[in-house]
Amino acid sequence: MYLDIRGLAARYHELQVLDGIDLSISRGEIVSLIGPSGSGKSTLLRAVTGLLPPERGTVSIGGEEIDYKDRRSLRAARSRLAIVFQQYNLFGNMTVLQNAVVAPVKIRGRSRAEVEAEARDLLARVGLGDKLDAYPDQLSGGQQQRVAIVRALCLKPEILLLDEVTSALDPERVSEVLDTIRLLAAEHITMLIVSHEMSFVRDVSHRVAFMAEGRVLEIGPPEQIFDAPQVQRTRDFIDKISRK
Amino acid sequence: MHYVLQYGQVTPFLSYFLGGALISLVLSGLAFCGGMFFGLVGALCRLHGGPVLSGLVRAYVVFFTNTPQLVQIYVIFYGLPDLGILFSPFAAVLLGMTLNAAAYLTEILRAGVTSVHRQELEAGETMGMNHLQLLRFIILPHIFRVLLPPLSSQYIMMVLGSSMAAVFGVEELTGRAFNVNSTTFRSIEVFTLVAGLYVLVTLGATILLALVARYGFRARVKVL
Ligand SMILES: Nc1ncnc2c1ncn2[C@@H]1O[C@H](COP(=O)(O)OP(=O)(O)OP(=O)(O)O)[C@@H](O)[C@H]1O
Ligand SMILES: [Mg+2]
Repeated sequence: MYLDIRGLAARYHELQVLDGIDLSISRGEIVSLIGPSGSGKSTLLRAVTGLLPPERGTVSIGGEEIDYKDRRSLRAARSRLAIVFQQYNLFGNMTVLQNAVVAPVKIRGRSRAEVEAEARDLLARVGLGDKLDAYPDQLSGGQQQRVAIVRALCLKPEILLLDEVTSALDPERVSEVLDTIRLLAAEHITMLIVSHEMSFVRDVSHRVAFMAEGRVLEIGPPEQIFDAPQVQRTRDFIDKISRK
Repeated sequence: MHYVLQYGQVTPFLSYFLGGALISLVLSGLAFCGGMFFGLVGALCRLHGGPVLSGLVRAYVVFFTNTPQLVQIYVIFYGLPDLGILFSPFAAVLLGMTLNAAAYLTEILRAGVTSVHRQELEAGETMGMNHLQLLRFIILPHIFRVLLPPLSSQYIMMVLGSSMAAVFGVEELTGRAFNVNSTTFRSIEVFTLVAGLYVLVTLGATILLALVARYGFRARVKVL
């Protein structure tokens, strides 16, 4: 397994949010995480990236276990991951192009010319070729999220984590961002996606994990989770959202 | 009363005054830089320093923002020598202004640091930035952008406040005005000219700060 999460637990002070998460993703696989609000989906992504250091359990990438207490190990893991949040991802003081190249160039020491060429190419592909010098607050929410995704890709991550990247957007902006993710799906990038867009999840995922009460209660192909859930809790959740 | 303005008597001192203006600018500029550095350290201590450090910084801020700057410099210049610590007038004023600015800037910068979006910092962190890189690429550009107006006015107050250096014998702009006044006795001419020069100096200081913000810290600000 490529990204291997075992028995992961994490808490915010008194609140035990993750309580033994088991989840494995193979290379090139796209797994979506669904579940009620507050079930800990964002927390799981934050724990994996070390923003909220786990209290128990292990995470390994390509067989290498991450030691969250060791800076070198954490930095090495972070160089293989990239995460996009719901909103305010972009650095407000940098243009679109600067946002995309700052980390590869200044942190990872790659050549500016090379990274800029890649960034221009990616930005053009998501329809933002004419916005290179715009600042984030001059873009629509959907455009900002596409830039955030491009910026994540410029890091050449082995695994991309997406946390409800469309939920802060106007409905008419959602599809442009989802199309961008579909583009990536076609290139077999390993992704862990948290999303409320159920038809998108069904369409793009190889497997879907249902999360509640700090655990993954059921995981399987989209047809199983959406059409024939095996666990009562999953069934209730699917019923509830499909009634809406 | 019949007073004939005779600027001709003071204009020969123009370059002497300009030299004084430069000293004012350098004095306040150095104090501002020092104040920014210690103010940033103070702001970060207040936000992330734990109860003890944060409490100490708070006490420092309360003390320095609630006592007159002139008195603070008196303590440094006339009080510390009793303990065997001697300063030149310039150094004493510079130190006093720096410590004072650090206190005010701690509060200003604290507000600036808290207004950075947490997600921006987290994005930077997951992209591999360490604390210094977060400061350089995210926090400082943000601070210089949103806080340029209060920072400019703090800087201007410091340029003007540097005139108290004359009290300690530093020959900056006001000190030189005293000198020229005592030989020419053209008070109105001397002090109106000097006032005009202060306007130019503060304008220059504001532009300088905007330039530093823009080109030194990549902040999105207009220079003029
Ligand atoms: N910074 C925080 N401090 C304290 N508690 C938090 C924090 N962030 C989240 N929580 C709590 O942790 C629990 C899980 O939150 P999380 O954001 O992971 O849920 P989620 O599944 O992503 O929900 P949503 O679908 O609404 O985004 C919630 O009860 C939430 O209130
Ligand atoms: Mg969430």
